[in-house]
Amino acid sequence: MRLYWELARCGYRRTAIYRTAAISGAITNTFFGFLRAYMFIALYEARGEVGGYTLADTLAFTFITQGMAALIGLWGWWPIAESVQDGSVASDLSRPYDYQFAWMAQDYGRALYQFVARSAPPFVVGMVAFGITLPGDPLIWLALVPTVILSVGVSYGWRFCLNLSTFWWTDHRGTAGIAMMIGMLFSGFLVPIAMWPDGLREIGYLSPFAAMVAIPIDVFLGKLSGTDVLAALALQAFWLVALLALGRLVLSAALHKLVVQGG
Amino acid sequence: MRANLDLYLALVRAQVNAQLQYRTSFLLMAASQFVVTFTDFLMVLLLFTQFPSIAGWTLPEVAFLYGLGGIAFGVSDLVCGGFDGLSKMIRLGTFDRVLTRPVGTFAQVLASDVQIRRLGRIAQGVTVFALAVSWLDVTWSLDKLAVLALSLAGGAVIFTSIWVIGAAITFWTVQTSEVTNVFTYGGEALVSYPMPIYAEGIRWFFTYVVPLIFVSYLPALYILERPDPLGLPPFLQLCSPVVAVLFLLVARLCWAFGVRHYQGTGS
Repeated sequence: MRLYWELARCGYRRTAIYRTAAISGAITNTFFGFLRAYMFIALYEARGEVGGYTLADTLAFTFITQGMAALIGLWGWWPIAESVQDGSVASDLSRPYDYQFAWMAQDYGRALYQFVARSAPPFVVGMVAFGITLPGDPLIWLALVPTVILSVGVSYGWRFCLNLSTFWWTDHRGTAGIAMMIGMLFSGFLVPIAMWPDGLREIGYLSPFAAMVAIPIDVFLGKLSGTDVLAALALQAFWLVALLALGRLVLSAALHKLVVQGG
Repeated sequence: MRANLDLYLALVRAQVNAQLQYRTSFLLMAASQFVVTFTDFLMVLLLFTQFPSIAGWTLPEVAFLYGLGGIAFGVSDLVCGGFDGLSKMIRLGTFDRVLTRPVGTFAQVLASDVQIRRLGRIAQGVTVFALAVSWLDVTWSLDKLAVLALSLAGGAVIFTSIWVIGAAITFWTVQTSEVTNVFTYGGEALVSYPMPIYAEGIRWFFTYVVPLIFVSYLPALYILERPDPLGLPPFLQLCSPVVAVLFLLVARLCWAFGVRHYQGTGS
């Protein structure tokens, strides 16, 4: 356990080195937040509420998603793929730890730094600029902690599987493009799932991608009450376990393929 | 000039041939670029199932803006990959080699990375634009076609200039600054919607400092014969190519200034 704790600290520190990258990333995220906010303000001139989302909800949604993108690696996270390409995967695999959990620990360290450097600043700027209010109900704050932790975990489970695909296709750029599209579309990142047409909406909420973005946001906005919150957390936990299990299957298949040359 | 152009084309041809060696990989990547960028437009479609219009612009009109911006950005993205990769050239020291050759640095960097898979992005812009035109009832005339062609070219030049300025900054920062993305990818997003939706400061900036308003909004007003709530002089709607050339000159100056200040990283 202590080992994984150290790995998490490593992941945190490794990300924290790139401070200028984090600052410019936060600026970019904030700018896109403004663009999307103005778009929604203009759209809402014609309607008061869509799918239960008021303009205030949608503005909060906009800046939370901008903050969460880096947290869940929505635009790409390929360190494992790169270790497959440069061969260092071989030594990583022979270390005395669980390969999947080791990367997971590092990823949580990375996510913590991203939360401080890239999630909070765009949200705070958006909060000041557009008067977004924080939830007042302490129960919501209580639920936010596990839901965000689970959303990072679910996204890690998905990214782990994606990264292992480099064992079969050495170039990950094609996969990266398609994965990003799937993530942005189905997580409700660009358009809240609540605004999707009837029928699609119900299915949309069940996907693992909703567990990464849509569920934490609906918890924040107080759209889920009482037992619904617990059900949503259970769904996230289900996807976490399912994706981690899938990752283990993919890993064992990949290991059958791996041939280490030289030493 | 002529020799430079011939060289540029020869370099690009060599790269295209190289990329076509892996045909499946190329086709997959071009297709994925098309699909990825098209998803973005799917979101616009999805939004317009819930909202009737944005600042008085309907879905077909927004698609018109989106298509114009998408094509202009796509062309610049195809042409300018080299500038995006300048950071790597500086870090690896390969830019030193560029300096020793008897051809301009600008043309060499421009030709250094032309990824034809990016045609997928242009195809997306063209598709959305074609959809927009088929939905709209535009009475086309010779002057409108001229405005369309010139502002598409102008838009591509404006985005290209942004890439060049962003690259010129790399001579000091070495790392490509992600802030450049605000003006490139962010710029593409910005021009997909009518300008009046943005706050005054943002509009002012993207009119007078980085002239993205000339990429889609102003030419679209002319072609769609819409009134301008911003009250800008109507002749500006024809000025995209002029502004683009001026902006490119500024970018070339930044580039020349950057190259003069270049110091190797010592690797």
